[in-house]
Amino acid sequence: MIPDRVIQTCELTKNYGSFRAVDHLNLSVRAERITGFLGRNGAGKSSTIKMLLGMIQPSSGSGTVLGYHIDDPKQSIEIRRRIAYVGEDKGLYGYMTVAELIRFTRSFYRDWQPDTERRLLAEYRLPPKRKVKALSKGMRTKLALLLALARHPALLILDEPTEGLDPVSIEELLQTLVSAPANGTTVFFSSHQLSEVERIADDVLMIDGGATVLDMSLEQIRENYRRISLGFSNPAPQLQSILGVEKMRCDGRQISILASSNADAIAQMGRDRGAVDIDVSPVNLREIFLETVQERNRQDQQRHLEREDALV
Amino acid sequence: MLWYKSLREIRTVTLVGAAAMAAACVLIVFYQQAMRASADASMTYIAYIWKSVYNSIGRDIFLILSIILGSGGLLQERGHGTSGFTLALPVSRRHIVITRAVMGYCGVLIIASVPVLAVPMASRYIGEYYPVAQTCGFFALWAACGAVFYGFAFLLAHRLEGDYIAVLLAIPSLMLYGLLINLPWLARLPMLNIFHVINGEDMPFFNEAQHLLAAPFPWLSLAVMLAVSATFILLAARRIQPLDF
Repeated sequence: MIPDRVIQTCELTKNYGSFRAVDHLNLSVRAERITGFLGRNGAGKSSTIKMLLGMIQPSSGSGTVLGYHIDDPKQSIEIRRRIAYVGEDKGLYGYMTVAELIRFTRSFYRDWQPDTERRLLAEYRLPPKRKVKALSKGMRTKLALLLALARHPALLILDEPTEGLDPVSIEELLQTLVSAPANGTTVFFSSHQLSEVERIADDVLMIDGGATVLDMSLEQIRENYRRISLGFSNPAPQLQSILGVEKMRCDGRQISILASSNADAIAQMGRDRGAVDIDVSPVNLREIFLETVQERNRQDQQRHLEREDALV
Repeated sequence: MLWYKSLREIRTVTLVGAAAMAAACVLIVFYQQAMRASADASMTYIAYIWKSVYNSIGRDIFLILSIILGSGGLLQERGHGTSGFTLALPVSRRHIVITRAVMGYCGVLIIASVPVLAVPMASRYIGEYYPVAQTCGFFALWAACGAVFYGFAFLLAHRLEGDYIAVLLAIPSLMLYGLLINLPWLARLPMLNIFHVINGEDMPFFNEAQHLLAAPFPWLSLAVMLAVSATFILLAARRIQPLDF
């Protein structure tokens, strides 16, 4: 029985010395859906995934995958028996051939599906007798995917799966991921490619500085998120931040607002304050991502400069 | 199938090592006349084999290979980028470490077993005789003493990341051990000197005049060495358990 929430974390934290990679993270991933896991480099995506898999130990907090606790070594084995993971570096044993690696991996999973193995082997055109170290990065990714999908996992976790792939391979991969929930597999994947996430994800989870900054379905984002541009005939007045205002930027006679809800009320507020030109338009994931992380990025850069100045 | 992965990891070193050991044994036997003439004409063939195989070249090759075989593991996999794949398998870290340790030790045993037949057969080919019972006895000594060197390198490899760092540190550490063990107060405990136990030198179970192993065999000491090696391996497994990968 697969729980409704296949991944759940509560105040999950990971410190590397004085650096906090994951900061009291609360996340929840729904079953049989595709969840895109977004964040800047160093936002804590890989650390989170590795904690879910038992590769690194949480500093504090807790989490469950398919109902099993991630910090219990025995339950962690059960998690790994039921899920599949394709890592960022796609590190596979270079000294084995494709066929040997498939045979090796197959031996760990009782519900291995030979039909899927054969189909994907043909579909991905993987040469069984070739050594893994002689495969291109794209081929290695495909082999990692074959190993992941042929065991029919309840949950498929992918860390930057399209990294280094050519457009054709990316397309094939996305098609594979899109069809996974229909077979009962939940997909949880991290990516920098916002357009890909927007294309295939049902839910979007965005983290920054190790904490959740957005957790919503793509449908909700499309329905609720709006860019509201207010044009004034005089210098723009100070507007109060009301419900739904995520970011507000004032530039001379223009005010640009990113709203997560309540767009009509925000537009009305602009009208009431004398806006002569009001434009409400939908926003894409890229805009939301940039708006969300840009400010923190600027703060990080500022902190870095201050530290360097202090050193000089 | 974890054993298969470990087997593939040690296969090349084991095969090359076994071939090198076989070549060394055969060359030592085939060139015995010239070597004995240049060294000490009165030296018996048995003494020559002991000095060449069990007290110098063969033993040194074996010990270096034992250390190399001990230098693999999860930390080295991290360096090669494959630890993520291994740790995502539904097995415990302890299982991974112990399997690698057992397979690596099998490699040590294979290399140790090469002289068991290579020396008597090559000897027979040139018309000399070296008893198989002796090579079997030395196999037991190599297997136990080699386990200590192997276990030590294995522990180092699970504490230090890097392909050759465990080997590079194990060799000088063992040289230091060799120096320390000759200190007067330690020299009174000859069974602590693995370099002597491995070839029987100055040991009660070795006949110095005939250069032959003699009963009673030091089974207890050998068992202690295997236990020491097992302790090193368990410490390595314990060290890996809480590590972040």
